Amino acid sequence: MKANPKDVLTGTYYIDGDVACGYGALAAGCKFVAGYPITPSTEAFEAMCRRGPQVGAVFIQMEDELGSMAAVIGAAWSGVKSMTITSGPGYSLMQENIGFGAMVETPFVLLNIQRGGPSTGVPTKTGQADMMQSRWGSHGDYEIIAIAPESPQEMFDYAIKAFNLAEKYRCPVMIMSDECVGHMTEKVVIPEADKIEVEPRRLFKGPAAEYAPYKPDPDLVPKMAKAGDGLKLYITGLVHDERGYPVKNEDYKAAYVRRLIDKIKRNKDKIIEIREEAVDDADVVVVSYGISSRVAIKGVEIARENGIKVGTLRLVTVWPFPDERITELARKVKAFVVPEINYGQIVFDVARCSHGHANVVLVPHGGAGVHNPNDIADAIEYAAKEKKKIQGVVEHKTRLEKLVFEGGYKLKE
Amino acid sequence: MNSLISALHKGIDKSGIDRTKISVPSDIPFVPGVIKELGVDYFQTPRGRAIAFGTGLKLGNPGLKVIPVVGDLMTLGGNHFVHGGRRNMELLVLCVNNFIYKKIGGKPTPSMPAAFSPYSTFEEPFNFPHLGNSCGAVYTARWTALHTEELAQSISEALHKRGLSMIEVLAPGPDYYRDINDIESDILQFYYENAVVKNNEDPRNVAITPDEKIMVGKFTDKERPTFIDSYNVQHSKILKDKFTPHGTVSQEQKASGDKNV
Amino acid sequence: MSEIRFAGYGGQGIIRSGIIAGKAASIYDNKHATMSQSFGPEARGGACSSQLVVSDSKVLYPYITVADILVAMSQEGYDKFEPELSENGMLLMDEDLVKPKPPRGTMKVYPIPATRFAEQLGNKIVANVVMLGFFTAVADVVTYDAMKKAIPSSVPEKAVDLNLKAFDRGYEYGKELLQK
Repeated sequence: MKANPKDVLTGTYYIDGDVACGYGALAAGCKFVAGYPITPSTEAFEAMCRRGPQVGAVFIQMEDELGSMAAVIGAAWSGVKSMTITSGPGYSLMQENIGFGAMVETPFVLLNIQRGGPSTGVPTKTGQADMMQSRWGSHGDYEIIAIAPESPQEMFDYAIKAFNLAEKYRCPVMIMSDECVGHMTEKVVIPEADKIEVEPRRLFKGPAAEYAPYKPDPDLVPKMAKAGDGLKLYITGLVHDERGYPVKNEDYKAAYVRRLIDKIKRNKDKIIEIREEAVDDADVVVVSYGISSRVAIKGVEIARENGIKVGTLRLVTVWPFPDERITELARKVKAFVVPEINYGQIVFDVARCSHGHANVVLVPHGGAGVHNPNDIADAIEYAAKEKKKIQGVVEHKTRLEKLVFEGGYKLKE
Repeated sequence: MNSLISALHKGIDKSGIDRTKISVPSDIPFVPGVIKELGVDYFQTPRGRAIAFGTGLKLGNPGLKVIPVVGDLMTLGGNHFVHGGRRNMELLVLCVNNFIYKKIGGKPTPSMPAAFSPYSTFEEPFNFPHLGNSCGAVYTARWTALHTEELAQSISEALHKRGLSMIEVLAPGPDYYRDINDIESDILQFYYENAVVKNNEDPRNVAITPDEKIMVGKFTDKERPTFIDSYNVQHSKILKDKFTPHGTVSQEQKASGDKNV
Repeated sequence: MSEIRFAGYGGQGIIRSGIIAGKAASIYDNKHATMSQSFGPEARGGACSSQLVVSDSKVLYPYITVADILVAMSQEGYDKFEPELSENGMLLMDEDLVKPKPPRGTMKVYPIPATRFAEQLGNKIVANVVMLGFFTAVADVVTYDAMKKAIPSSVPEKAVDLNLKAFDRGYEYGKELLQK
């Protein structure tokens, strides 16, 4: 299905990532936004508040993020595409209802403009330390999809993709952006509506008596419904059968939660988007995502000038994780270098998938800034030269880290 | 129990509203049979989130009538209730006050009067109708679950109110009808016998205390622009013809030429 | 590649300067231009800055490492960001508001009474655009035509004429200065 021309602000703009994401969401047909303003995601909320009412999208500033997330799921069940926007502390509050949304298989999009953490952290500066939270933040087993854009243009493009994936797989989709991309202003080209593909809701069409909200199609995704259609929906966060009715039987639980997981895992190949460059004859592959993948190229260029064969693998979708591809590469390369703005999150999945075949080097960053490309280049050089097989993850000492250690956890004067 | 369910049945019938347009978000587990019989859409939300969830349902499709049935109203759901009232979101909140969380072993709730705790409690309970009224609810009432007729009447009235209505129902939890034991029916009987109907009483005076009669009745019935009214007025004023009002504009508003809003 | 820092105090349109120059470079000159602004306490009232990286290829590192150009509209902004300016860099400053130290290395200094010119034009709020005109003339990062195209969509409709006038005032002053 093509986007509705009314929803698409076709043209060329010079806007920041937050705003671009808001425009992308509206272009995808988002008609409901609930949120609670929090730096550095506020500009996205503002963009939607400004433009939303002109294209029939309702926004509401809720009392808190618990309510925002609940309202977004409610709106989804009323039949509209919905989203929320947040950062750090707000994201933590949303976890309860994210689990609920995943459990009752609700399509919605969440934009997290990651900032420095933990707790209040550094509200106005960047971070990538919510990646594991996006995967495991709510209690219990469930699967979500996470996307990490690296530019305002991608914020627009991947907002649309996020909505499409949410509809296709009836699950929460997280846009795991960060302050650097959110507050970065660049050229954004918004195409004509007929160039934008949007996924319509996977609605049940048939006699009401035959509808079962959790009866899966062959791809393991059940048909969605909306309130007010006389379907007598029974939707609960309790473990339920295909009709949605609560069950306590262990077999049912196993079957239900298994499908919840497998509807993402089995469709992984269709969901995962990675971008590789020069990996085929590489000694070292830099695995990165979001803003770090952009900065990493600079480090890669420096390493190449020094004669190292280095390729890049960018995780556009971070979750689900491309296990098989990392394992395959691990057998060919000497090492992976993983720069991320945290003290090690995605790097452990890289290590898990490399099964000891390749060394795995983390280039950490405490947040509130992006990597110094020279640190990434140094890590690449080290990884290329290291002859020993090293168990676990090697943590590269960056310039900043050295100062921290030399100063005894204070920056050395 | 079942008295709440039957009051809901009667109230919806009386209101003349199409049941398929009614959504019941609730943090209380109703059994599927009950929902099927009621013929509504039901969503069991995380504890306390029914009002927030209902806010999304209502704004996503203003054609729906949304009845959040809330157990953890003033604990987990307190802030949602307070702001729902302030915004005058069109929701009929049924606050089921069962004084104890029977299901998890009799832990006290904020509304529990002293007499119902084994060692008594030292905390002041909330006065729900007063709280609802203060937050801006356009309709507040309280009935025991045995006041089926009055409760049904209140539900049907409240379903036609434009804004947030709140009815406090003194009842054991909705699951109880499966295994009512003597004590529970005794308690219900105790509420009923100790209740005095005081319609239009100032909500400030209707707190439930262990030593006094329980006042029931309709305490608030007023008019205020709803969230959607205000949303439409504000955006129409600024955006003019670039804005299409959200949802349907009520007959009263059309008749009054939007004077009130 | 050029790394440019615009610095001043809140209310001078420092962020706006970054946006207009970035827009001109990326949309009308077809280059890559990434603008980031500083947020937080320093953005309110006191020192305020935006950073712009302009390049012929994709901008990979979005922040300034060594600034090629510092556009200073306040003493505080100058003091804070002068150290990151390259020894071969270029300092553009409002000569009435900034008292610079002696330049380092081969650093070039271009003074303009931007705020005074803006006041003469009727509103000191366009001082940043006078400065942008001056920047366009002396720095050779964005073209005159691109800037003229970028301004109308970046300022309030009723202020377009004044802004274009302010831009030309700064641009001409810059050209004259270069000829001297």
